[in-house]
Amino acid sequence: MRFIQYTNPNTLSIAPASGFGGRFPRGDIEDQIDWLFGTALAGFAGSARGGQFPVDIFEDKDNTYVRAELPGVKRDAIGVEIVDGSLSIQATRNEKSGEAETAVSFNRLVSIPDEVQADKVSAAYENGVLTVTLPKKEEAKPKKITVSVN
Amino acid sequence: MSMFNTLIPSFHRAAANGDPYPVCRPQFEVDETEGAYGVTVYLPGVSKEGLEITDEDGELRITGKRATKLPEGLAALHRESSDAAFELLLTHDSAVDTAKIEAELKDGVLRLALAKAESAKPRKIAIN
Repeated sequence: MRFIQYTNPNTLSIAPASGFGGRFPRGDIEDQIDWLFGTALAGFAGSARGGQFPVDIFEDKDNTYVRAELPGVKRDAIGVEIVDGSLSIQATRNEKSGEAETAVSFNRLVSIPDEVQADKVSAAYENGVLTVTLPKKEEAKPKKITVSVN
Repeated sequence: MSMFNTLIPSFHRAAANGDPYPVCRPQFEVDETEGAYGVTVYLPGVSKEGLEITDEDGELRITGKRATKLPEGLAALHRESSDAAFELLLTHDSAVDTAKIEAELKDGVLRLALAKAESAKPRKIAIN
């Protein structure tokens, strides 16, 4: 069986066949601990899974829209919050690989303009894409002023 | 593990294919159970209507067009995703029973179950 896959190339490097062998660093205990965790976590850090996800920001005259790609996340595992002028999006996805199930969490903080009505923010999740609609305050909308010329 | 069962992801660039539309390659995972191969493809923004799966001559092609549900006339302030359709081409030799391919799309994740062909399953040979 031959598979060419691009995920987690370092999964096995924590347990080389000959024990730790020459790969174990000879430095002090801190170096050794760093090495151990660095190796164990290398597979996560390098992969496109977990961590951040792509975000788009759009705008029209009434609303600002933040769109995030979060495929395979259950609706109740998505958290959208507005904290101190930033929009925080958190999500957790359960991934099954064989018998084991791992939870992968994502989070992202997006700065939003001041003129958003924080109490009227709404969000929708469809086809793995989350769209957050942030309505603008009335005074921030472009106004048309008619001046009558006599 | 048999050397006859090969699933090789192939890179196919739009320009090389001469396709008029740009495509991008989705994130995907392949796993194997005793009777089937499982392929998980992440296709955010793709609805059932925009998804097309074909299997021809040992090539499994998955194309997904994104269904954008945003009002027209928006100004993009910041973009990280692309509007290009997704395309994934996986080649398998005839180790897969093409009549028994099952597909399920949920929340932008496509899960395919490709049943192994009878000839590809391990067989115990009785000795006389």
